[in-house]
Amino acid sequence: MYDLNIAWSPSTTPDQLLQILTLASTLGYATVALNHTLELPIPSVPAAPFPPASALTSSSSSSTPNKTLPSILHRATVPLADPAAPTFRLQTLVAAYDLVAIQPLTEKAFQSACIHLDIPLISLDLAQHFPFHFRPKNCMTAVTRGVRFEVCYAQALAADPRGRATFIGNVTNLVRATRGRGIILSSAAKDALSLRAPADVVNLLSVWGLPSEKGMLGLGALPRSVVVNEGMKRSGFRGVIDVVDVAKRDVEDQGEEAADGQAGKKNKNKGQNQKRKSGDEDTPTMSKRQAKKLKLASRGAAAEKK
Amino acid sequence: MVRIKERYLLVNIVYAPDPARAAKDNLPQCVVHHQPTLDRLTPQALLKGIRAEVASLFGDYGSGALGGSLSVKYMSLATSTFILRCPRAHYQMLWSALTFMDRVPVKDGKPCIFRVVRVSGTIRKAEEEAIRQAKKVILAAKEEASGAKSSLTSALQAQEQMSLDITDESSDEDMADG
Repeated sequence: MYDLNIAWSPSTTPDQLLQILTLASTLGYATVALNHTLELPIPSVPAAPFPPASALTSSSSSSTPNKTLPSILHRATVPLADPAAPTFRLQTLVAAYDLVAIQPLTEKAFQSACIHLDIPLISLDLAQHFPFHFRPKNCMTAVTRGVRFEVCYAQALAADPRGRATFIGNVTNLVRATRGRGIILSSAAKDALSLRAPADVVNLLSVWGLPSEKGMLGLGALPRSVVVNEGMKRSGFRGVIDVVDVAKRDVEDQGEEAADGQAGKKNKNKGQNQKRKSGDEDTPTMSKRQAKKLKLASRGAAAEKK
Repeated sequence: MVRIKERYLLVNIVYAPDPARAAKDNLPQCVVHHQPTLDRLTPQALLKGIRAEVASLFGDYGSGALGGSLSVKYMSLATSTFILRCPRAHYQMLWSALTFMDRVPVKDGKPCIFRVVRVSGTIRKAEEEAIRQAKKVILAAKEEASGAKSSLTSALQAQEQMSLDITDESSDEDMADG
């Protein structure tokens, strides 16, 4: 179970945070993301201001072991009003946070977030009225592109009756526009008691029109895919290639090869050996071919850049 | 004669844990997470609170649909557990109203979460589940207090997985009942 939005601000005390985290793990969330909502002029060198995980565990004594806390990710949410003047440096943010989300405030911003921007999450404050409505075309583009919409239930829990009604209206519209696909459920909890258990959330959303199996996806599989994807983007080369583990060349193998070579020299005439030798020779030709391919590819890339 | 279909909801009251205090008193983890209800909560007060919440969420329709047949079948303040009965067609309404409640419905009630742990078609299954959970908590607490924290703490984690089956299970029960 994932909860990709636990509200955090510099004024949150470690005690409060610890309380939220313990309760989240009791309710069955294994991974949570602390969310920091940024102001628009983003500093040129953003740094995630979150307290280190060690600070949390040290404030409690040994009787609350570390394993009762969920694993913690860091997330930034950028409110975006005008997509035409994006002085925000998404790339620098990407380096500093595990996840980056956009909170579009206008229709233009929403549209560009759906269609162009390279972000994993679109977060909306559903408790307030939007001057536009969610068009299925935009939303479906976003969903097929892999951008997910986030529904934060704590906004509804905290809202007044009017806000609650708006929230429900917005959720049903969003579900209609996306046909229930690509919706991630998260809390946006500012304090521990606005968290809810996963089953409760799924039921709540199913009352509001999101089928419960899709709700389960929105708590489990979808946020997981977002987290894993973002992790890969940050660790690998262009999010495609990643060095997982370097295979060590065994000392034994080398020794054997040397011994084989000697044996081959001794009985050169034997067909068996010949075959094996030709097999050995195959490897360098393969590598040549690869080298050629690589050369071509790099040339192509260079041409594209020009 | 067809009998009236009901749903039984087993609900836990969850309070905010206080990790700092727990560390000071050296309480076992599961005791911190399963606190007793200290407010003087009566079944009548609970029903009244739920009805008010249903009315504010679903209006007259909700109060009418749940009206007569909503009742508290069992309530234990020591384990913060209760069992509710409601008509099958409208149990989701009741559930979402419980989700929206944020404090014990008495005067100056403590803030809390109502967590539905089991939805079942017969009261027996709900009862069994309640007993099973209580046993597990006691065993886990004992184990943790004795210092050996291995198998049962993980068993308690497994219990969290349980609640996820609810949606599936209840639909199963639908078939079994019908």
